[in-house]
Amino acid sequence: MKGHHLIWIRRISQAFFLGLFLFLLVETRLAHDVYQDYSMAVSTGEEIVLEKPVGFFFELDPLVWLSSLISGHQWNAGALWAVLVLVLTLFLGRVFCGFICPLGTMHHLAGALRPALKGSERIKANKKAPSQKVKYFILIAAVVSALLGLNWVGLFDPMAFLFRGMALAILPGIGDALREVFHAMAQSDVKIFNLLSYGAEVLVAPVFGYEGKAYQTAWFMGILFLVVLFLNRIRPRFWCRTLCPLGALLGVCSRFSILRLEKDADKCTECKGCQKTCQGAASPMPGNSWESAECLMCFNCFGNCPEDALSFRLALRWPPAANPGPDMGRRAVLGGLLAGVSLPFLARLDGRIHKATDPRLIRPPGSLPEEDFLTLCQRCGLCMKVCPTNVINPTLGEAGMAGFWTPRLIMTQGYCEYTCTLCSHVCPTGAIARITAREKTQKPIKIGSAYVDRGRCLPWSGNAPCIVCEEHCPTSPKAIYLKKAGVPAPQGKTLQVQLPYVDLRRCVGCGICENKCPVRGKPAIRTIAAGESRSLKNQILLGGPSAFGS
Amino acid sequence: MGNDQPISRREALRRMARISSGVAFAGLAPVTLPSWAGQESEKFLIKGVGREENYSLKTLIQKVFDSAGGLQRFISKGDVVVIKPNISWARAPELAATTNPEVLRALIELCQEGGAKKVRIADHTIHDARRCFAITGVGSVAKKTGADLVFPRSSLMKDMKLRGSRLDIWPVFVPLVEADKVINLPVAKHHSLSSLTLGMKNWIGGVGGSRWSLHQDIHQSIVDLARFFRPTITLIDATRILVRNGPSGGSPSDVETKNTLILTDDPVAGDAEAARLFNLDPKKIGFIRLAEKWNLGTADPLALERKQVVL
Repeated sequence: MKGHHLIWIRRISQAFFLGLFLFLLVETRLAHDVYQDYSMAVSTGEEIVLEKPVGFFFELDPLVWLSSLISGHQWNAGALWAVLVLVLTLFLGRVFCGFICPLGTMHHLAGALRPALKGSERIKANKKAPSQKVKYFILIAAVVSALLGLNWVGLFDPMAFLFRGMALAILPGIGDALREVFHAMAQSDVKIFNLLSYGAEVLVAPVFGYEGKAYQTAWFMGILFLVVLFLNRIRPRFWCRTLCPLGALLGVCSRFSILRLEKDADKCTECKGCQKTCQGAASPMPGNSWESAECLMCFNCFGNCPEDALSFRLALRWPPAANPGPDMGRRAVLGGLLAGVSLPFLARLDGRIHKATDPRLIRPPGSLPEEDFLTLCQRCGLCMKVCPTNVINPTLGEAGMAGFWTPRLIMTQGYCEYTCTLCSHVCPTGAIARITAREKTQKPIKIGSAYVDRGRCLPWSGNAPCIVCEEHCPTSPKAIYLKKAGVPAPQGKTLQVQLPYVDLRRCVGCGICENKCPVRGKPAIRTIAAGESRSLKNQILLGGPSAFGS
Repeated sequence: MGNDQPISRREALRRMARISSGVAFAGLAPVTLPSWAGQESEKFLIKGVGREENYSLKTLIQKVFDSAGGLQRFISKGDVVVIKPNISWARAPELAATTNPEVLRALIELCQEGGAKKVRIADHTIHDARRCFAITGVGSVAKKTGADLVFPRSSLMKDMKLRGSRLDIWPVFVPLVEADKVINLPVAKHHSLSSLTLGMKNWIGGVGGSRWSLHQDIHQSIVDLARFFRPTITLIDATRILVRNGPSGGSPSDVETKNTLILTDDPVAGDAEAARLFNLDPKKIGFIRLAEKWNLGTADPLALERKQVVL
């Protein structure tokens, strides 16, 4: 096969997988489409689940599989895909990076479409650099940390990085901007703009939703994402070459790849065309030793060599000859080991895991106990994207350093709907264990407890009658109950009101009371994590979660 | 397309302008003189009860309308009809927290057979609308009947002048005010503050904004809304009623079967009649008493034409 054929096959594959990723990203939500068939949900009480495999790219990601296995001892359902990718890498090198990875494709596009660097500058930028060892450092540190019970690989895993950045920052950002434009058009006096704004809303809403979404720290995710994309203008595929731990893992696995770059030094005229388009900075030029662990299998060198001095060949020999090993350098290895061992312990020093958990750390329903949770959570944002009420947010400091960007419920932003189990169904690693609506409501699965802040509460403070928290309480019988009373009111009067009380045995911590309380900002009824059934320790009442079954 | 489609913004704005100017003029008249004052003698209330084992809801509704003079008295050919059910909570139909989807379905079919050009279903839900559509059965009904199910998005909430005594300017769910005919289709159920939620309280689901603050003066808020939204007709679904743990219920033990429907063009009389199903004295319910005072209708069962249909 000719080189440029391979390049076209690569481009088609890249476009397909990027498209698939974006499609699944958008589909990670409850559709607004009222045409869909709801009859199953009504007639059989079946769960509302997403039918599309929105977590597919996380099943495909060997790093998600590996880190879940060694850290949480969890063999994921979709693990076969990940193993397939590893096997493919063993034979064909980092074809995942060149052909499949949607983040890689984005970087490829950002670096190759109207490149900022021209000529010799570009050749220089594609020269192998010592910074490429950093990714091995990250990989080793993440794997060792995962072994010791803190799985932070998701902070750097390309699928998690891409999903988080796109779903929590880029997509809501674009959606907000578009809504602003339509709003302005709808207000316009020009007739055609009015009409267009209506049509545009119908087109745009299915992708971006009707309402804006907000996520804590999303601005930071967005900046990070854009900066990393921008770096492609200075050093093409900066992320893939320098930071990507998945690339590092696949690089290590490419040791015995039988798909090799064969160089014919006699034909080479040193035009450096191969290095000018090299994606991985893998030294494709004859005279240098080809770095199979750095090569992203983009086939640009093969396709662009005017002298046919380069070609990729399947080297079928027995025993297979090893490729040169990945150039990690001793410092990256030792540093990685050291960092990997230190981080799980350093991360505990803030006391958030054992000593004093943050009362605001309310995890999604079905979440494993905190220590197990941290061995599995990829911080990917799937649960946050899918949540219909926008209650699930990335943490900042609530879960301590160890849990940065893990999910947390912010009840002033949304609430956990009583029979909804979507987050548990999309979690790619089982950090949020799969639950059914029946389990959630019957066991019940408690995520926290509500309490009334009497000084702020309207009836308790004698300011007005109000029963909004009780009205919205979803349990039956209600966990919030009312007692009639006369309370002192301004000007020496007595106000007849119904005072809300919380029955902690019934409260599941869903937070709808906090969300709907008329005292905005800091509501008069609030939810804290205490009483969550996932923890034996974090209980208020004697009898703990055992009172509700295990 | 179609199903989920709102009226175009242009049209919405045009109609809004018309409505707000209308309301502005209405505001010039003394408030104690509602537009239908003096027509009380023509008001009616039809109670339909299903006694047979497997009675047909559609036949019952048909007969109830027939004894009110026929559906064509209210729905003309080519009308755009909007139905306001109560589907606030993502609860299964049998828990009686929401309008019975079979009643809704039968009503839509009758409207369609009666020549309505378009039937829309609109409610500003409390739980996530997508989940409410799915779980209450209303989504299935929309799909089966081809009625439009309007998604209560914020772009359809427009500030309007309610001119109430409590509520002045408030965001209103536009599709509910811009149809030719409006049918209020509430479910009768218990409520912890207003004691019951029936037809007039159903209009809390017709507005947006900070609805949680309405509860500080719930009875006046209900009456203000009932004075703004004036349905062509109200059909109260009491096929099964939620007698405690309202308004969201959650347990089948909170539900009683009544197999009753109440059709009326007097919002107060309808609510009063439904209250009697709960063995409550309507005169002791704040918003009913207040609504009478504001001349919205009468809670006196003898003050209007009454009929009963039994199947």
